[in-house]
Amino acid sequence: MTFRHLLAVALLAVLLVWHSQSEYYGFELLAEVAVFAILAMSLDLLAGYGGMVSLGHAALFGLGAYLYSWLGGPMVGLTAPLAMLGATLGTGAVALAVGAVAVRVEGIFFIMITLGFGQMGYEFFFQNKALGGDDGLYGIRRLDLSGVGIDLSDPGSFALAVILCAVVVYLLLAWVLATPFGAVLKGLHANPNRLRALGLRVHAYRAAAFAFAGAVAGFAGSISAQHTQFIAPHLLNWTTSGEVLIMVILGGLGTLVGPAVGAVVLVLLRHELSSVTDYWGAVMGGFLILVVLSRQNGLIGLTERLLRWRRG
Amino acid sequence: MLTDPSFWLVQSLNSLQLAMLLFLLSVGLTVIFGLMNFVNLAHGSLYALGALIGYSIAEASGSVWWAFALAPVAVAGVGAVLYITLIERLRSAGPLPQVLVTFGLIFVLMDAQRYLWGTDALGVTGNVPFSGTIHIGVEPYPAYRLFIIAVGFAVFGGLYLLLNRTRLGAEVRAGVDDAETAAALGVNVERTFFLVFLLGCALAGLAGAVAMPAFSAEAGMGVGILVPTLVVVVVGGLGSLSGAFVGSLVIGATLTFGTALFPDFAGIAMYAALIAVLLFRPHGLLPARG
Repeated sequence: MTFRHLLAVALLAVLLVWHSQSEYYGFELLAEVAVFAILAMSLDLLAGYGGMVSLGHAALFGLGAYLYSWLGGPMVGLTAPLAMLGATLGTGAVALAVGAVAVRVEGIFFIMITLGFGQMGYEFFFQNKALGGDDGLYGIRRLDLSGVGIDLSDPGSFALAVILCAVVVYLLLAWVLATPFGAVLKGLHANPNRLRALGLRVHAYRAAAFAFAGAVAGFAGSISAQHTQFIAPHLLNWTTSGEVLIMVILGGLGTLVGPAVGAVVLVLLRHELSSVTDYWGAVMGGFLILVVLSRQNGLIGLTERLLRWRRG
Repeated sequence: MLTDPSFWLVQSLNSLQLAMLLFLLSVGLTVIFGLMNFVNLAHGSLYALGALIGYSIAEASGSVWWAFALAPVAVAGVGAVLYITLIERLRSAGPLPQVLVTFGLIFVLMDAQRYLWGTDALGVTGNVPFSGTIHIGVEPYPAYRLFIIAVGFAVFGGLYLLLNRTRLGAEVRAGVDDAETAAALGVNVERTFFLVFLLGCALAGLAGAVAMPAFSAEAGMGVGILVPTLVVVVVGGLGSLSGAFVGSLVIGATLTFGTALFPDFAGIAMYAALIAVLLFRPHGLLPARG
């Protein structure tokens, strides 16, 4: 675990050096990387530690983005910090309701039921003309920190702020995993029957984990809405959930820092490859297939294995 | 509108036509699912492949009948390559690696299709059979859609006989019911799975080829139809032929009447049906295992 914390520090150092060398394009990429790192880490809590592979996680991310835009926009008119809080808690509440139902099934059926709930959300926003329908919503406001001398409309400051958020989320998730709740979560993955025999309410713990991961995804969504200042229903689509799952797998399931590494690699690959070839999807898909077939736990698993091999 | 009998008749035929396409797609998927617990998210991409290969064959030969005959064979060939290179290795790997690899395959196959056929929607230019309309009551109705319905029923009948009257069918039923016992009794479950997988690919190819003259062919058309197909599989019951048929009818009707009557809620109704079935009848409407 300490090795992984070291990796996380190294990753943060890389991002900060990258930030110091960047201009507009680099700042935009960094902000996107940090948003997806938050989202991928929250999915890792659910899938990697809790064993609940969801194909509806991006729907919660998108819900957070819509909630922020709705609460902070002209329709409700809350201030930006309140809208972010509302988006995070609101998404967590929806995730609790969905989770309470979804955790009753397991394995491939859990994947299917989360896909179903996620696509329901996608259809809801796709059809909802008041929230822009399939065109989405433009002109979303960013948090105003000019009172403390920070201008978030500046891409560099914004990227730095999102990286800071990702660090806070990393520390929060690492702390949660170290609490008794985290121990129960890992135990549920390893052997749910034993925990049931110990008298723990398995469904309640699973639903709580789903709600917590959902709230973090909603928080990531509220940042994403401020970053691009544009939201559309595709944020909720199951293919977006699949991409986040790719980030988790690419970095290493159940490693926390791995999914953040996966977010860096995938966002970079997507932007660099799409400027070189129209067929970057095939490269990304092929890459994913190779990683899964290699039977290593992503890049982190591979690194740890190489280190062990060198030590003999 | 609602009191007009021809509205109900036309919409019923439309829902039946959609249901038959969903059936052709879901029946292969459901038996693969039920027999081996294998999830193939790339099944929709094989449907698109059937439509595109069918388009090329129809353009080259001047007849869509050649497309109907050869596209399923070609798609089964692609399926055989996928099986040997990827799927065989994933057989015992559990649902997550299967979901991920076949999700990756969606992107690979979509880009391969874009590379080979471009991104435009391709409509067949030669003469298409049943291209006229038939008057049903007072409404003219495209005859080709009735042809699609007939193909669906014919395939259902053929598969019913295959499943219940042949040795392969008996092996499939035994494998779905209890693969371990079937293997212990001398059934080569791996070989059965391979044959069923090829048949499923061929049927996806047939669905694409048959849909192509009516809806044109387009790279990536398989992604949109994948999710309703998965819903049919779960609603009908994994591994069940009649489940896939009934599930297709239910989802076809939900989508068609939903779009006609409550356009904003058709998609939501389909997912609500999925969730309700998962919660209250987790093994589907007509489960294969007793």
